[in-house]
Amino acid sequence: MKYLIFDAGPIISLTLNGMLPVIEKLKEVFDGEFILTPQVQSEVVGRPMKIKKFKLEAIQVKDMIDRGIFKMSSEIISNQKLDKEIKRILKVVNGVLRTVQTGEKIRIVHDGEAACLAFSNLCKVNNTLANSDKKAGAHCVIVIDERTTRMLTEAPQNLEKMMEQKLHTPLDANLSLLDKLKDIKFIRSAELLFVAYKKGLIPIASDKKNKELLDALLYGVKFKGCAISSVEIEEMKRLG
Amino acid sequence: MKEAENVLRILKETKKFIEDDNPFELKALSNQTIHSATISQDGDNIIVAVLVYSLGKVMERDSYRNMEGWTEFYNSVIKNLGLAIKTIENKNIENTRIYLGRIRNSLNKISGNLGRYIKDVFKKAEINKAFKLYEHGLSTEKTAELLGVSLWDLSSYIGQSSIGDAKVAISMPVVKRVKIAEDIFG
Repeated sequence: MKYLIFDAGPIISLTLNGMLPVIEKLKEVFDGEFILTPQVQSEVVGRPMKIKKFKLEAIQVKDMIDRGIFKMSSEIISNQKLDKEIKRILKVVNGVLRTVQTGEKIRIVHDGEAACLAFSNLCKVNNTLANSDKKAGAHCVIVIDERTTRMLTEAPQNLEKMMEQKLHTPLDANLSLLDKLKDIKFIRSAELLFVAYKKGLIPIASDKKNKELLDALLYGVKFKGCAISSVEIEEMKRLG
Repeated sequence: MKEAENVLRILKETKKFIEDDNPFELKALSNQTIHSATISQDGDNIIVAVLVYSLGKVMERDSYRNMEGWTEFYNSVIKNLGLAIKTIENKNIENTRIYLGRIRNSLNKISGNLGRYIKDVFKKAEINKAFKLYEHGLSTEKTAELLGVSLWDLSSYIGQSSIGDAKVAISMPVVKRVKIAEDIFG
């Protein structure tokens, strides 16, 4: 089984760009499930429902959950099991960096991001409720726009270096703690839009393979919070 | 309160810069609180960071000084900063929080537009400081939680910055990440 696990960021950047329907189009061609954890649901529906400025966006996301485009993680892994794994992951990742001077741990990530990592971890080791997944681990990819969680698993030494520079203080890093998270795969809303563009699934243009459209899509999500550099965007445009 | 000595120094300098009418130094001072706030994630440090930055913004807007309620607001800031400094010196941190809170609460008593404008400055300062914590390496959700701001507000703010352009943040070649996306979609 394939699972695309969504953090809050990509849903926010796509929604703020009016690109939420692209997720629906992608789901139609996806041989698997789009997953939301309760923690992420709270960030993209629960909380904005109480903020007039974002209530309409929250209703649109809720509608996609109600219609089954997003599936709640509890249908695959029990909340109890997920919570236990979230706690374990938070303990690990928030213990990786300490200040040399005081030995104080720096708590880097929060429940929502940890929930995505936890779901991915649990799926890989056959913890799903579905019988079909018991023989082999599921194929999981996390969709996350913010850079810190990605750097923590893909290039933790870069994160350490960056934080040392910003904080003007040396840090002690126990990077071996992150070994079990090394295999987790990440994409961003930018790559989702890239795939949708390549497959001709962008619903707003008659000329669906127009390079200007790809440029607009990628910069659109960048300006709504997707951590992607202009250099990366130009490289993606050459691939498009 | 973590790093109370540092907070005390910052509040003393804040009061001085306000009395000297020096908004530029005030804003620079607010950045000094962010380093310690990133590590300690202490609510008091974060409140002070937001307060100092907001006061810097308010002080640089000359037009506010001619508006109804300015004198009351200014007097409240000076008075409550003085009291907050004294309570930290006496290690009465509970009262420090009360006096710092009174600065923001004083806005509710100002009639006319000034109170509304300054409240908006405080709200935007929270998002700015959340962004600063993200810039220092904390995740978006962690920073949103610490500042009590929504991820939806924070996302647009992050997007307008050049933070995503830093080379150090590129943790995988574009081709490889695109391949992951194409592979899962088959």
